[in-house]
Amino acid sequence: MACPSVLPIPQLAGYAEELDRTEQDVAQLEAKLQRHPNNQELRIRLAYRLFHRASLTGRMEPFQALETAIHQNIQQFGPKEDLCLLKANLDFRFHRLAETQRDLEMCPLLPGRFDARVLLADIKFQQGQYEEARLDFEALIQENRTWDNLARLAHWKSKLGDPAEADRLYEEAEDDLTAKQMRAYAWLELQRGVLALTHGHYAHAWKHYRRAQASYPGHWHTDEHIAELLAAEGRFEEAEAMFQSVLAHTLKPELQQALAELYLFTGQAAKAQPLLDTAEAAYLASVKLGGVHYFHHLADFYTDVRHNPLEAVRWARKDLELRSNFSTQSALAQALHCNGETSEALQYIKLALASGVQDARIFSIAAAIFESAEKTSEAQNYSKVALRINPRHADFHMHH
Amino acid sequence: MADHNDPNAVNHIFSDIDYSPADLYDLFGWPTAEGKNVTLALTFASAPAAGVLDTDLLYRLLLTSHPRIAWPQTNEVSLESVLHYFDAVKEKYLGELKTAEIRVTVKTATSVTVKFIGFPSGDFSAEVEANKVVAIPAPNGKTIQAFIGGRDDAFFNDLTGFFRSINYAPQFYHVPHTMTEARELPIPKTLLELEGNDLFNYRPDMPTWGFTQLDGTTPKLDLPPGPWTWKGDKYKKDANGNFRFVYDGRDCRAKQNCNAIIFEFPHDFITPDTAANRLVNSWGESWVRKAAHKIASIPDDEPSWINHPWKAVREKELDDELKKYKLVDTDGQPFADAALSERENDRQLGANNFWLGPHFIKRLAHLGWGFGPSISALGLKTSFDHDNSPVSIHKTYDLVATAFPRVAKTLFQKLNMPDSSWNPKNLNIPLRRPFEIFIPNVCSIDMDTTGSWPFGRRLEDQVATRFLAMFLDMEAELNGKKYHIDLLGDQALWDSAPIVPKTPPNPLKNDKEFLDHFPYLAEPWPEKW
Repeated sequence: MACPSVLPIPQLAGYAEELDRTEQDVAQLEAKLQRHPNNQELRIRLAYRLFHRASLTGRMEPFQALETAIHQNIQQFGPKEDLCLLKANLDFRFHRLAETQRDLEMCPLLPGRFDARVLLADIKFQQGQYEEARLDFEALIQENRTWDNLARLAHWKSKLGDPAEADRLYEEAEDDLTAKQMRAYAWLELQRGVLALTHGHYAHAWKHYRRAQASYPGHWHTDEHIAELLAAEGRFEEAEAMFQSVLAHTLKPELQQALAELYLFTGQAAKAQPLLDTAEAAYLASVKLGGVHYFHHLADFYTDVRHNPLEAVRWARKDLELRSNFSTQSALAQALHCNGETSEALQYIKLALASGVQDARIFSIAAAIFESAEKTSEAQNYSKVALRINPRHADFHMHH
Repeated sequence: MADHNDPNAVNHIFSDIDYSPADLYDLFGWPTAEGKNVTLALTFASAPAAGVLDTDLLYRLLLTSHPRIAWPQTNEVSLESVLHYFDAVKEKYLGELKTAEIRVTVKTATSVTVKFIGFPSGDFSAEVEANKVVAIPAPNGKTIQAFIGGRDDAFFNDLTGFFRSINYAPQFYHVPHTMTEARELPIPKTLLELEGNDLFNYRPDMPTWGFTQLDGTTPKLDLPPGPWTWKGDKYKKDANGNFRFVYDGRDCRAKQNCNAIIFEFPHDFITPDTAANRLVNSWGESWVRKAAHKIASIPDDEPSWINHPWKAVREKELDDELKKYKLVDTDGQPFADAALSERENDRQLGANNFWLGPHFIKRLAHLGWGFGPSISALGLKTSFDHDNSPVSIHKTYDLVATAFPRVAKTLFQKLNMPDSSWNPKNLNIPLRRPFEIFIPNVCSIDMDTTGSWPFGRRLEDQVATRFLAMFLDMEAELNGKKYHIDLLGDQALWDSAPIVPKTPPNPLKNDKEFLDHFPYLAEPWPEKW
């Protein structure tokens, strides 16, 4: 297995440079706005730059600043299409699907626009309307073969059973990108790496992660994936160092949880507890402020990490209310299973499997639930499927 | 805006799109050294800065030289004839015609590699420092002059006036990129303001409205809710009975820079038979490096086309270097892309724009319904058949056959030159006609002329005003002289016309004097825009 740290990495402009440039853009726009405070175009351009900055850092505070800016702009200028589209993208990012739809409907013609139809197709996927989503993605690609829509269809294929086609689509998406879009290129490489990882092909995952690292150096998001892969390979110390390095960049609670899980996985419970405390507090604080995007993490957290099945079921149900798909259904099934509610767990895991999802972890959960329901034959069958999809699915993995 | 802000993928008018060095502005080309040399200048957006080049870009200048052959069906004015012409051009450009190429790749922000490919003397290359005039020796002993770097943008044009004439909303209103229906609004295109066209008529209370300022901002208004139509039936007139011109003749590109690729080389460097091959056709292209090739140091396991035939199909006509880049913009004729192809990204075809021939006819007819009646209202004769409409009309066409009769004369008429200076040898060179000028989309330089547009394009040519002259009836006369392509640039015409402001539509000269020696384009302005 090649080690990424010994490979020569071309020195391309990467995360730090882009963040720096974005900060400069923001500063320049703010300076111009001092002279033209009511210039709508400058204000909206600034909002887009703020979105870009927040996306780069992954931190909550910049997203909150952006939310405020969008709100103020809509108040001052009314529901302009570009503002509503930006708001919709922001809401979608944080799992606020109903709000996303409402954002788009604020402008009568916006739901019919290409960019909005992309989001609406994403919503369908999140709501478990898989066939509709696929048809929409294919129609959008037919209309305009953009890299991001190819990637959407690739994601669909990766989840619903055609990893080879998914990889082909990701590669085609990459071919559409120019040197001005290296972050997007790196992201696609990460998706291809995840595809390989979730099928147990670690060498291939490394290849893609290395390319992501080389094409867009210094991004914590790439390092996060590399840390997971290192841990999956049993290289725990390197993984720990990488997680810590990522956490120095971005204090995302899900990454704190990931490092804590690594500690638990390696029998270092004492080191895990403070991180888990912090992560849990951050999840709950977000919920207290009205956030919904950590419901899924809370369900996993109380199922897998801090055994509290009642809480796990509570958060899993909340998440399912927002978006009923194989991911939320299997999470609820697992929580119910942990809580001893086997019958309902069976119901939800069957629902998840009926989607056609091909995910080793979900089949593994199914095996456990069916075993518990004394349906041994099915349980064995699902175990085999899980192993067939990913022979290494029991290795360390993150809750994404 | 010969080709500024085109295609939409790099159109900076929209708030979410940055300036891009792939945005080609203009291609100039004219004979120099008494017709022994040809000079070509490809200009593009000066991003990251004038004199600083982007290392992810590749530029191509494609060239052919061939005889001046008159179109045999010269007197036949028919749709069949023009469609036959488009077919013949297609055969020529896809068939026998071999193009040579100058390819510029950027090594560092201030140094480039120039490759000469397919010229009679053989392929060769040179490393060139940016922002300096450099003499490149060719294998056959010829010398090529080169300059690649920052210059003053040689284009001088009332960009805002043009946008006002076509009711192009993004120049005047905040128009989100999503609102594709709110670009050219369905209001008659016009040279004269329309009575009650409140969406675009000049506003004395906002004199800077729609004019891009030196700090990069453009005062714009909030686009009111539709319908964005016009219900009037006449041109606007003031108390003195004067029309209001949509242009005010100012130079919207004043004090702005570009980056440029400029070459001057002997005609016999392109063709060994300069006596026969009197035309030099050229067009420019910008390409951006593909992401996958930015990190070529990490090879794939195997060539991806083995597993992915779609790649092989897409790339079969490209050489190994070009496969690493993606075509973004093309430029040959001024206005061919921006005015006639509506800036669509998928219409960046360069010389291969013969596919757009039928669209060109429909678009010209659409423009004609706007500009033709405006010209008539000024008391001038138009080449466009608008049934004596007293005012501009918004009309679009689905069928070429319906559009063609309206625009037949505009397409087929010979564009008179203002005097005989364009033809210093007084040779029997036929005047050019619009359908020949725009299809194929090349800068076609006649080496026996001065290269003044449309026999090439000289820096001092006011091509925006000349473009409008296509809609003048070239058989008509004014003061005993036939209409010609510079007629609308004649101040005396406007002095006597019932119109304000009394100005030619576009400035008559560039804001900075051109040089009388290579590289001809003026030094860049100190400011970065």
